[in-house]
Amino acid sequence: MSTPARNHLLTDEEKEKVLVEVVQRVLNECCQDPQQIERVLFDTLYEERRRLESDRNKARARLQSAFYDDLYHQALRASSERQRDLLKAIVQFFAEEVAGHFDPRVYALSTRIVPTGLSILLNAMSPIRLLQAIPSGFKKLDDRLLISGDLDAVRKMAKLGTVVLLPTHCSNLDSILVGFALYRLGLPPFLYGAGLNLFDHRLIGFFMHNLGAYKVDRKKKARLYKNVLKTYAGCTMELGYHNLFFPGGTRSRSGAVEQKLKLGLLGQALNSYIRNLIAHKPAPDIYVVPCTINYQLVLEAETLIDDHLKEAGKSRYVIDDDEFTKTRRILEFTSKLFSLDSRIHLVFAPPMDVFGNRVDGEGRSLDHRGRPIERTRYVLIDDKPDFDPQRDMEYTRELARAVVDSFLQHTVVNSTHVVSQLVFRWLKQRAPEMDLYRLLRTGGPEESLPLTEAYQLAERLLDRLRALASQGRLRLDDTIQSGDAHHVVTEALAHLGSYHRRPGVVRKGDRLFHADRNLLLYYQNRLAGYPVDQEC
Amino acid sequence: MTDRTELEVLVVGGGAFGTTLATLLARLQRRVRLWVRRKEQAQEINRQHTNSRYLPGFELPPELKATADLEESIRRTPVVLMAVPSQSFRQVARLVGDHLEGDQLLVHGTKGFEIESFKRMSQILREETCALKIGVLAGPNLARELMANNPAGALIASRYEEVIRAVQALFKSSPLRIYGGTDLVGTEVASAFKNIVALAAGVADGLGFGDNTKALVVTRGLSEMARLGVAMGADVFTFGGLAGIGDLMATCASPLSRNHQVGERLAKGEGLEQVLQSMTHVAEGVPTTAAVHRHALSLGLHLPIVAAVHGLLYERWTSQDAVARLMALPTERELAALRYR
Repeated sequence: MSTPARNHLLTDEEKEKVLVEVVQRVLNECCQDPQQIERVLFDTLYEERRRLESDRNKARARLQSAFYDDLYHQALRASSERQRDLLKAIVQFFAEEVAGHFDPRVYALSTRIVPTGLSILLNAMSPIRLLQAIPSGFKKLDDRLLISGDLDAVRKMAKLGTVVLLPTHCSNLDSILVGFALYRLGLPPFLYGAGLNLFDHRLIGFFMHNLGAYKVDRKKKARLYKNVLKTYAGCTMELGYHNLFFPGGTRSRSGAVEQKLKLGLLGQALNSYIRNLIAHKPAPDIYVVPCTINYQLVLEAETLIDDHLKEAGKSRYVIDDDEFTKTRRILEFTSKLFSLDSRIHLVFAPPMDVFGNRVDGEGRSLDHRGRPIERTRYVLIDDKPDFDPQRDMEYTRELARAVVDSFLQHTVVNSTHVVSQLVFRWLKQRAPEMDLYRLLRTGGPEESLPLTEAYQLAERLLDRLRALASQGRLRLDDTIQSGDAHHVVTEALAHLGSYHRRPGVVRKGDRLFHADRNLLLYYQNRLAGYPVDQEC
Repeated sequence: MTDRTELEVLVVGGGAFGTTLATLLARLQRRVRLWVRRKEQAQEINRQHTNSRYLPGFELPPELKATADLEESIRRTPVVLMAVPSQSFRQVARLVGDHLEGDQLLVHGTKGFEIESFKRMSQILREETCALKIGVLAGPNLARELMANNPAGALIASRYEEVIRAVQALFKSSPLRIYGGTDLVGTEVASAFKNIVALAAGVADGLGFGDNTKALVVTRGLSEMARLGVAMGADVFTFGGLAGIGDLMATCASPLSRNHQVGERLAKGEGLEQVLQSMTHVAEGVPTTAAVHRHALSLGLHLPIVAAVHGLLYERWTSQDAVARLMALPTERELAALRYR
């Protein structure tokens, strides 16, 4: 596969080429002997038929069940060669479902539409009404969405090689905002894997289909499907298409910054790099850019934290009945976003290579002391680039660690995190004997804390956060950086008390009453992973 | 895969352990070089085949070549073994990092933490070099016994199979049997921590207590070691292996152990400064105690033997004080702190 210009996403012709390559690679991997073919085929059929039993889209389920039933009956009596053909049919089906499609006309339209404000995007169906709102919309969103970080470096890496963008993930709005940010940076759209449920959304689905999103069906548990997904991403990287995926795998349920990343997709960056070296590609380099998306209010906060608590950490992988599916809630959210002067920070962290080493402006890898590294040497075996699955898995873990560190460093702390943290910590101190669930249910012995005490606690927490920020261990929103405790608490109360169905905390007279403790837990969890309890 | 036994290995550090490792490899006809900081020491090894400061009384194989030129010796050498004291480790690692490439394997055999940062040696290697394929060699490896060709065992722990295979291949057919493991954290914690327990065991010997006392010190020391290790992310089973109980047995029982000697002499009434000044080798347990004690406090871990050794070394406790305080502590369920981790 040759490296094309990177100012567009896959054309139909290129898509066809990628599909052929994906099917071939996946089959090569899983058809090494007759036993393996049989095992993979029947495992996949089992997983798929089981999945369809609970598919709520009955029409789709009927269609796919017929397909799999037919394959199953054929497979029972088939020779090994025939079983391989049946497996190929499944791989083909998976690959075609995964593959994205990009229409430049829709991209041009959507990049103009998104800035008009999410409310307009999601509310208005008439393109004329959308276009009329463009000038003010641009300005409004630019005010609310603050894009910062190493922007020049990202642009440069996109010219020098292929960029893999890895954002933190806490809302379904993330992909739309990142898409807009990339557009504002003058970068071409990135390929990205979006959950199948987003494609089912009436309007968003339309853009997903056409913005280079490829489908990720998280309900498909078959290993074969995951292989197709990974191989698809890898093939597009090798072709030089910038990719975007959420390395946490799903939206953070707890509200905390992702600490455990999905290594499968992440490993494709290294895999593609090695393939590029083996193929002597002129621009073999792949650069990883972590990115944090930081909201003062999270659209789906209530559902996410409920899910986190209900499943005691074993969250449902797909939530298809959250705030994102309710247009009215999105409208309320966007309206609050603007009326509260709420800010969303999108930070592009410094790029790194596929081993987790930082890179300089020319794309050269550097060690911790700033000395240049000849990175090709990491993958040499007998002086030639080659794969070593065990080594490569460890390299991917190194990369994951570096990405997590970068997430923590470039997370922007804001007033809702600070006030939720101080109220929640105060609650825990008042009821040290209570376990978390009881504390959340009852709220402990005291239902409110004096405002003066809240200011003192806020002041102390702000000092610690500022010290951490001065050490480069996190970032602060302007209010946290320079506002006083009074200002921070006031801003947080305005946010926590308005959009969500129940306020996290409300002020009555000179006291703060905790109302929705789950919500407080959610927002305060953003500070998990930072030593805010210790003296800095 | 490359057959590493056919390639060169560089041992960095001309102390007792580094010279011993290089000697074992030279006896196996591996193409090994020993890097030492001082030119005079390199000349002594190359001409007289001795290392009189660190291994007096032993003749080194004539095949063993030493050098003080790091750049020349490190280039293209597939395996680099570092054996330098923990408190100069970062400085030497940085020098190594000036010349190392990403395909080289980097293994260390240093038993300690960096005092100020409480960083493990593999973390320092990661910070000071571009190496990713890093390993740690640990276990009951008293230099003099290895030099005498007595059978012994060691653990090479690395997340990279390639490192484990390469080190095992290097020492194949030597009296030092190399076992493999993946728990880098546990191995480094165990091999650093055992020096503190050796100090405590030395005190017990110095006070004239018997084997019961020493067994108590060693097993409770092992428990504290595991508690710290698990808190740092180690696999508890590592502490039952060569790097844990294995190294403890050798260090706490042997009069050859420097840390044991320090504990014994302190118990007999000598001052710390006097003891350290009279030693040519570094007793790693002394700085390690300070680092572990501070870190345990910050983690809220209860490590009474560490606290007692710390008191003895840094807080002017007498050895009798230390024993009395330990014996006055309430007894808990033996494995409680580990079982409910």
